[in-house]
Amino acid sequence: MEHASEFVTMASFAVGSVVRRCGRLAGGAARLSTSARALGGDGMPAIIERHGKREVIGYGYNGQPNYIDRVDYPIPAVRFKEETPQIKALREKEKGDWKNLTKEEVQELYRATFCRTFAEIQAPTGEWKLALGGTLIACSLAIWVYIWMKLFVYDKMPATITDPQRVEAQVQRMIDLRMNPVQGVASNWDYEKGQWKN
Amino acid sequence: MIRNAFSRALVAGRAGFLQVAPQSASVAGCRHMSKVAESDEQLTARYVQYFESKDIDHWWLSKHINDLAGTDAVPEPDIIKACLHACRRLNDIAMAVRFMEIVHFKCGNRVKEIYPYVLQEVGPTLNELGIPTPEELGMDKPQLALEDVYDM
Repeated sequence: MEHASEFVTMASFAVGSVVRRCGRLAGGAARLSTSARALGGDGMPAIIERHGKREVIGYGYNGQPNYIDRVDYPIPAVRFKEETPQIKALREKEKGDWKNLTKEEVQELYRATFCRTFAEIQAPTGEWKLALGGTLIACSLAIWVYIWMKLFVYDKMPATITDPQRVEAQVQRMIDLRMNPVQGVASNWDYEKGQWKN
Repeated sequence: MIRNAFSRALVAGRAGFLQVAPQSASVAGCRHMSKVAESDEQLTARYVQYFESKDIDHWWLSKHINDLAGTDAVPEPDIIKACLHACRRLNDIAMAVRFMEIVHFKCGNRVKEIYPYVLQEVGPTLNELGIPTPEELGMDKPQLALEDVYDM
């Protein structure tokens, strides 16, 4: 059963456009045609369609009768709203001269077919504030953890680093041994004058 | 011609389950494997021809509008006019308004230069058919807000 439906689903990508149009013209509405001729099989529906009574108007972006607002696939496969008597009446009026339609009626017809306008799809969501705020909170938590580590976990620094006399003696030793004479410590010491280069 | 005849065959359901090969379904779409690049005039002429066909239905209208929205270009005024007339034949003003929104969107970041020109060219057709532009309907600014699924 699983395999049969998968096979039909795969092949129905190629046939999808065929079967959609058959279904639309035969039933006038949404349900996939379950006639054996349309499916070529045992008449079982291959795909459960959830678009209710909404009219199929096209292929959509993936062949399924779904609705999605996308600026790169602007006309989805189904209308947004199901047909109510008010919309039906407006559709009848739409068949006449469009100059007789008021702006509100045009908007209502638009909203019956589409959920959001382009302006609404592209409207800023303010999500950047969440992202930036969350990131900065995480950074500050990390800094707090570091402070805790420094205070409670790490040992005190050894005397060889903190004692200035010892540090001076070590640097003197580095100069005497000419350690890293090209780019390091000894390269900053002027051996002729006996002082640091500036 | 071939395309219309083929689409009629699809409509009648005579094509069997396994006989419809994927490449046939795209005979009227873009030629992905063709080596000859199409010029702008050819593309314009092709789409004008599509929209002007007398028996266009919602399926083909949607397909051609979606294909146009996928091209990296602003539709020529000739295509826009043909599409608006096709919407008129199908009695669908929502599609016409949506198409004008699509044209506005395709102008990209040069919308201030291109869109006034488009409106100037297409304005007579809009007036003749009685189609308001999205700006006239107040749709150039967001009107309704859709609740994010993550906030529900």
